[in-house]
Amino acid sequence: MPNWPAETKYISRSTARVDAPEKVTGKARYSSDIQANGWLYGMILRSKWPAAKIVSVNLDRARQISGIKAAVLARECPFNIRYYGEEIAAVAGSTKQSCLDALRAIEVQAEVRHEFVVNETEARKADSPPVWENSPNAPANPRAHENGSVDTAFPECAAVSEGFYSTPVQIHNPMETAGNTVSWTDDGLTEWSSTQGISSVRDGLAGALKLEHSKVRVITEYMGGGFGAKFGAGVEGVLAAKLSKEAKAPVRLMLTRFDQALAVGNRPSSFQKIKIGALADGTLHAFEAENYGTAGIGAGGDSGGGGGGADIPMPYIYKVPNTRVKQSAVAVNAGAARAFRAPGHPPASFGMESAMDDLAAKLGIDPLELRLKNDPNEIRQREYKLGAEKFGWKEKYHKPGSSKGVVKTGIGCAGAAWPAGGGSRDTHGDAQINPDGSIEIRLGVQDIGTGTRTVIAVVAAEILGLKPEQITVRVGDTNFPPGPGSGGSTTCPSVSPTVFDICTKALQQLQTQSGIADARGANWFAACKKLGVNPLVVRGQWQQGLSADHACGVQFAEVEVDTETGLVTVKKVLAVHDCGLIINKITLESQINGGIIMGMGYALYEERVMDDLSGVVLNPNFETYKLPGIADVPEIEIILINMPERGVIGIGEPATVPTAGAIANAVFNAIGARVGSLPITPAKILAALGKVPPFVTA
Amino acid sequence: MKAFEYATAHSTDSARQLVADKGAYLAGGNDLLGLLKDYLVSANILVNIKSLPGLDKIEPGKNSWTIGSLVTVAQIEDDAHIKKVFPGLHEAASEVASQQIRNVATVGGNLAQHSRCWYFRHRDTVCLKKDGDLCYARNGENRYHSLFTGNSCISPVVSSLATIFASFDATAIVLRDGKETRMNMAELYHRAWENPLAHNSLTNGDLILRVEIPTSRPRSAYLQASDKHMFDWALVSCAAAAEVVDGKLKSPRVALGSISPVPHQVEAANQFLDGKVLDEATATQAADLILKDAKPLEHNAYKVPLAHALIRRTLLKLKGDA
Repeated sequence: MPNWPAETKYISRSTARVDAPEKVTGKARYSSDIQANGWLYGMILRSKWPAAKIVSVNLDRARQISGIKAAVLARECPFNIRYYGEEIAAVAGSTKQSCLDALRAIEVQAEVRHEFVVNETEARKADSPPVWENSPNAPANPRAHENGSVDTAFPECAAVSEGFYSTPVQIHNPMETAGNTVSWTDDGLTEWSSTQGISSVRDGLAGALKLEHSKVRVITEYMGGGFGAKFGAGVEGVLAAKLSKEAKAPVRLMLTRFDQALAVGNRPSSFQKIKIGALADGTLHAFEAENYGTAGIGAGGDSGGGGGGADIPMPYIYKVPNTRVKQSAVAVNAGAARAFRAPGHPPASFGMESAMDDLAAKLGIDPLELRLKNDPNEIRQREYKLGAEKFGWKEKYHKPGSSKGVVKTGIGCAGAAWPAGGGSRDTHGDAQINPDGSIEIRLGVQDIGTGTRTVIAVVAAEILGLKPEQITVRVGDTNFPPGPGSGGSTTCPSVSPTVFDICTKALQQLQTQSGIADARGANWFAACKKLGVNPLVVRGQWQQGLSADHACGVQFAEVEVDTETGLVTVKKVLAVHDCGLIINKITLESQINGGIIMGMGYALYEERVMDDLSGVVLNPNFETYKLPGIADVPEIEIILINMPERGVIGIGEPATVPTAGAIANAVFNAIGARVGSLPITPAKILAALGKVPPFVTA
Repeated sequence: MKAFEYATAHSTDSARQLVADKGAYLAGGNDLLGLLKDYLVSANILVNIKSLPGLDKIEPGKNSWTIGSLVTVAQIEDDAHIKKVFPGLHEAASEVASQQIRNVATVGGNLAQHSRCWYFRHRDTVCLKKDGDLCYARNGENRYHSLFTGNSCISPVVSSLATIFASFDATAIVLRDGKETRMNMAELYHRAWENPLAHNSLTNGDLILRVEIPTSRPRSAYLQASDKHMFDWALVSCAAAAEVVDGKLKSPRVALGSISPVPHQVEAANQFLDGKVLDEATATQAADLILKDAKPLEHNAYKVPLAHALIRRTLLKLKGDA
């Protein structure tokens, strides 16, 4: 069994991103920067109806627009539209404006269906318009799981808390929208894709276009975030390919921010009715919950990492002997859900952690004590104790609502679990060591902005006794040895053991060929020179024993709530996280910062707003789909627990899981009233405080 | 967007001629370009007015100051003299959008901007404001909408500058039919109060030239509440201005934004405050008067307590206590 080195020069320390200069200077080429020879703009015509039968589509007038080189249908007519923004056709032209003009020139004959439903609570009603013909929007009987006996357990409880907790549909809004540039010629197809999975895009595209896998090459040099929504070839990929073929030119089809809100994924909503009870000593004894949420038109075929459904893990990280959990997904006329950073976990954490604090208030005990009493995980126990000490929990904690004054302060905490985060055995790579001492490492994975290139350079430098900047890292090309998609927090634990394997083998071979017993560090160039004229190429693969799965993490939040304006200000978040052996501290901290800020958006600002009457998404922009800005971001303190003995574990997902729960509990602690619905807006704060006059219909 | 011609005007007369009956004036362009790109308005010609002489100046005066319509919001924010003489104006300017937008946004554009109602701004809803048959917001998603209106449209005015200008009883000087027309803020927005199609009282070809602010109210304050801490629209904004003589308010004026198609002013409240010494109870009574006739809808009733708190806070800030 291989082992990570005990003494390290780079691993578990901080190496600045090896591609930072490229990113800062704009030299880094993202998919939206690709300007293939003779490229055209591509754009998609989307349905302006939430439900309709498209009878026919006439592209003739669009084709006549000056500058338009191709126009294709999204599907063969007739077909059904099931949500606002669903794709109808696409055009390619030499200017943006020609495409915009062409979209308006396309003639669509449609039978508009005026019966549709975009609200998940409405959609559950028996007389609700069906999203899918011959199929109810929600199952008559939700799936139920039972352990022990809830009905006998609740009467045995000393305290029981009942609450209703809901989370909205959250839209994936990476800096880089979904999209690609595709060039399809007789020789084959090349796609520069904004994707988390170059291999899955290649296979998906090849399948959709009936091409051999070997004829399709997918390149992702740099990528501006995906958060789970960018694994498949996507309608935009297939349409760009068809346009490219017809136009005989490369086509760049990047979605607009407007498009991004409609059809390329979201996190399902959740409506959680939770009843929880504990014995007098605080031991959790009974838990009953019913949850439903919407994944839009359903768990779509393009849901990537497995997050298409709306179920959430309940009662999340806690062990309760008696449980009854019912769950169901509801279809509505809206774009399908996709995996979204820790699918299922942030809503589960928010619901359960809120219920825990509500129960603690009923029991009259400190909610941190309730967690220490009931969290079965030893690592989180350690993290809670360490974090509480650093955060000053004991000094800062007060009874909910006991903060004085108009602006009240409060604290809260919550825990995370992420069952995945292990490595993929299907990770391959190679190294080419040149006689001049330069070295290139190639893996068919992709750096989605998390620092994968840097991780590869750090591991290679460590094993070879070189500096990270001496390693040329090449990723994001299906011509390289294949690797997995970046989902489930698996990239770091996939690539680190693989690079370990490649470099260990390469070093051995270099030492054998050169006759230099230790070719590392100072001897490197001398050893390489002995290769003569032929570079050394060594292949490696993921090895067991160097990585693991299951990360934990806990977060503490401190807030101020203005009880007159309802404004919540997060003053501080302290995060304690573990992910086995830390490879690169600075990019790891960056992942946690991002996770917390995203979790804060989920807690306070983000929400897809649908209009019942028109069926449209009302906030397909950053004006009213609100995201945290720099002025909203609190002081973030990160405490890392390095556990080299566990091997490498991913962190991308667990870092965002507990933030919303911790903030919601801090708000509860501040004002003594529960806002059970995310996002926690000023309007909801004022309502929770009983300050909003009841609405009377005229 | 649709194709248009483009011209630069060097005098107000030529600007008016160029814009004719289907053109639009272009200054900062923050609102206009978005409206054009979303096909919400069309113009056969954009007349660049950034080169019109004399409209980019802040001119102090004994009885009133004149602020040209091409003065940027950032210029107002950065002007140390304004901060001293009209502190509320400084505060209102610094709350507008983001620094990048303030750098190019003009006073004229801020006053003339169109509704931010998400039904109006949506490309595929044809609401009252777009000559459709119904206001979707009235029974729909109305969390950001008005508590007061004189017509069926409940889209509120969102100009921060209009709110503070109203509290100063400032006057906009508008070039209309070759003549300079004077409008106070109530008049500048009155048409939006009664006509759902209107965003303000300006009609095609009208050009805001400058704003005159009387110096008779040396105390002023502006506060807004938003969902976020920066670069977010006001859920409610409040401005107040007055003179304080022997501890008593003289000619006080309170105006609110984002709760009515016009800067919301209640004359009875201004009269009530006149001659009063400000304290918590007086501020509360004024707030009650200002919000007395509010007609909350399903999702915007929170604006009532929010506005109430902002009125009290703004007034007390005027006093110099808060």
